[in-house]
Amino acid sequence: MHYLFEMKNITKKFPGVTALDNVNFELFPAEVHVLLGENGAGKTTLIKILGGIYEPSKGEIIIGDKKYLKLTPDESIENNIAIIHQELSVIEELSILENIFLGKLPLIEGNKLAKVLGLVDFKKITEKAKELLKKVELDRDPLTTVEELSVSEKQLVEIAKVLASDAKIIVMDEPTSSLTIEETDNLFRIIRELKSEGVGIVYISHRLSEIKKIGDRVSVLKDGKYVATRDAKSVTIEEMVKMMVGRELNYKYSGAKHQRRGENEIIFKVENLTRLDEKVKNINFELFRGEILGFAGLIGSGRTELVEAIFGADRIKSGKIYLFGKELKIDNPYKAIKEDIALITEDRRETGLFNNFNIWKNISIIPLIKESRLGGLWGLLNTSREKEYANKQKDALDIKCASIDQNITDISGGNQQKVIVGKWLASQAKLFIFDEPTKGIDVGAKNEIYQIMHNLVEKGSGIIMVSSELPELLTICDRIIVFKGGEIQTVFNIEEATEEKIMFAAALAEDVGNSTVRVRNYEN
Amino acid sequence: MKINFNLYWRKFGTFVILIVIVSLFGMLSPKYFFSTDNLIAIALQSMIVLLVSLGEFFAILNAGIDLSVGSVVAVTGMITAKLLVSGFPVIPAMLIGGIGVGLVLGAINGGLVYGTKLHPFIITLGTMSIYRGFTLVISNAHPVYGFPQFFKNIVVGSLWKIPNPVIIAAVVTGILIFITNKTKFGRNLYALGGNKKAAWFAGISIKWHTIMTFIISGITAGIAGVVMIARLGAAEPLGGSGLELFAIASVIIGGASFFGGVGKISGVVIGSLVLGVINNGLNILNIPTFYQQIVLGSLIIIAVTLDRTFSAKR
Repeated sequence: MHYLFEMKNITKKFPGVTALDNVNFELFPAEVHVLLGENGAGKTTLIKILGGIYEPSKGEIIIGDKKYLKLTPDESIENNIAIIHQELSVIEELSILENIFLGKLPLIEGNKLAKVLGLVDFKKITEKAKELLKKVELDRDPLTTVEELSVSEKQLVEIAKVLASDAKIIVMDEPTSSLTIEETDNLFRIIRELKSEGVGIVYISHRLSEIKKIGDRVSVLKDGKYVATRDAKSVTIEEMVKMMVGRELNYKYSGAKHQRRGENEIIFKVENLTRLDEKVKNINFELFRGEILGFAGLIGSGRTELVEAIFGADRIKSGKIYLFGKELKIDNPYKAIKEDIALITEDRRETGLFNNFNIWKNISIIPLIKESRLGGLWGLLNTSREKEYANKQKDALDIKCASIDQNITDISGGNQQKVIVGKWLASQAKLFIFDEPTKGIDVGAKNEIYQIMHNLVEKGSGIIMVSSELPELLTICDRIIVFKGGEIQTVFNIEEATEEKIMFAAALAEDVGNSTVRVRNYEN
Repeated sequence: MKINFNLYWRKFGTFVILIVIVSLFGMLSPKYFFSTDNLIAIALQSMIVLLVSLGEFFAILNAGIDLSVGSVVAVTGMITAKLLVSGFPVIPAMLIGGIGVGLVLGAINGGLVYGTKLHPFIITLGTMSIYRGFTLVISNAHPVYGFPQFFKNIVVGSLWKIPNPVIIAAVVTGILIFITNKTKFGRNLYALGGNKKAAWFAGISIKWHTIMTFIISGITAGIAGVVMIARLGAAEPLGGSGLELFAIASVIIGGASFFGGVGKISGVVIGSLVLGVINNGLNILNIPTFYQQIVLGSLIIIAVTLDRTFSAKR
């Protein structure tokens, strides 16, 4: 049998990172081929190459009897490839009908005037839309505005849109993450119907149990490399987890493992913390002197939401926090900074860097605010002292730059990250929360960040590290808290933690946990 | 090479535009244009726009805008005038009517922007109309005139041949340069304009910084309002109409970005002078006012296009 498409020896390099390394992937007609891997394994990059969004550095894509070195988005569509992204791409302000036929509204036929004026044959597409909505079991008038729909209904519109395009190859990226059990069954029914029509489906999901239900073959990616392909029916969940994890970490950690920090000294403590929006609930934990505490969990499991609440960037409903035994009342980041808490945020471009500033201004901003009064409104600048702060951090962290007068956008991602760490070090904080501190930086810079964290612990600071890279957590941390659905699922001491155990707690528990919650919702 | 040129242009581009325009009018009217009288006239004409632009700069620096400045000029001018003709002492009348009322109107703008979370464009479009209406109500649409001589002396007199409006504008400019370059507040505004989310995570109070930018905008417009009634000898209910456009133009010509976080007070000064010179030059060349508007508009587009082309991000 012929492949619908074949991706051969695909390599994709980003500055400093190889996202995909010689990956092969292919799809048969009437097949559901599951693509599996941890965060950052390269699944999304592979899909974006198929969709024509990224250009591969090496390799070829064969669709039918055509060979491509790269695809453009148009070529991808011409070859009947449709991608349903994790973030929905429906247009809220338009109707279901317009969304389904977006970009391909048919004109009224056999009427010259209609052709000149570009009049759309709404009668025809209304009929067709009703048909499609029936097929996906969405009981709505096609003229309803999409913003009135629930998330899962929008997902169905997205699927109807793909059905309308007569796609032969459909990619679904985490399609069930917002669906109830009933809706998931409905989706699986649609997938089976598509299969019977010869359509091939690339299915990305973290939910291991549903993969066995719907998949035909499973291919696993790890660190941008192809691991193996298995038959979905016969592979066990344990095998899948094993293939996904076990990443190598190129890390030369010179510091000895921390002593199991006298449990009598608690640096930081959180009691019964619940966010106002309830994205995290009933959080209790302690951070001991001399340890690095890791936060593990899937994206959206509440880790970032928790640290932002601790930092005062989001409002809390209830709960208490203590730093060195003193209860803190923090309702905005200014107070958190004043109370010696530092948050190195996850997305340095969005929430960390000031692109309009040079290096020294990016570093001095935090000590500047910390020493200011009235929320930063009051205080004079002292440029030479600011540069002193910056130079000190430049030397301490070995920030590679021609001069601290250089604009922040002129240095590499790893060095930008060091600048961000540097601004918090300059503020002399006592509790450091690192949210994905090594995301998108190269191995060398990663090691340096680990070393900085180690040095901070040695000096008696408290450190919390949120990370999606399990090997990193396992190497750096002394205890690991696994989050799931906004709550603490499990706490592991490093001696007993393995990647498999963490993955089970985070991914599988998520699976089971959500199902129970949703069944309850459904019964209501 | 190209990068060097870009860098150079970013630093001196606006100044080059000013030189080019000055040379152009100098060539077209060599005798009159460079005379001391005319240069003083240019300075004098530019000062009201400059004062308003200085405040507008802060709104734009914070990735916002203040459309109400023209109306603030009218309200403050009118209230000051009313105080003066009712026999209120001159200095307190100026302080209350100009700076005080400007501060309050600016605080209303800032409070509404922060409170409603709407874009400043919407809020100040609303208050532009509200403040104008308020001026018409309190003046009953009649101009107010007959100010004490002492008032005219201090506002539009001159000191060693330098007109007082120029001195007032220079003092305000100096204070604002100090604020932008030497205070934490000033630095925070650049941070806020550059990356609002990062500024929030760096502990900068978005609420108070936003309100303060509009207060500054209100105060400078208030000062401009006082200068305007002194120059005209009367407070006109429709005074200051359209000033917001000149203010925005000079801020943008001066190198600020609508996206916020970029720009300098010195640029605003040059931007205002560019507008002043164009206006004056066209008058000297006897180009009818209606055509002047067309020329002025075109020059604004050309100047900013040139600037953006050459200083485009690498």
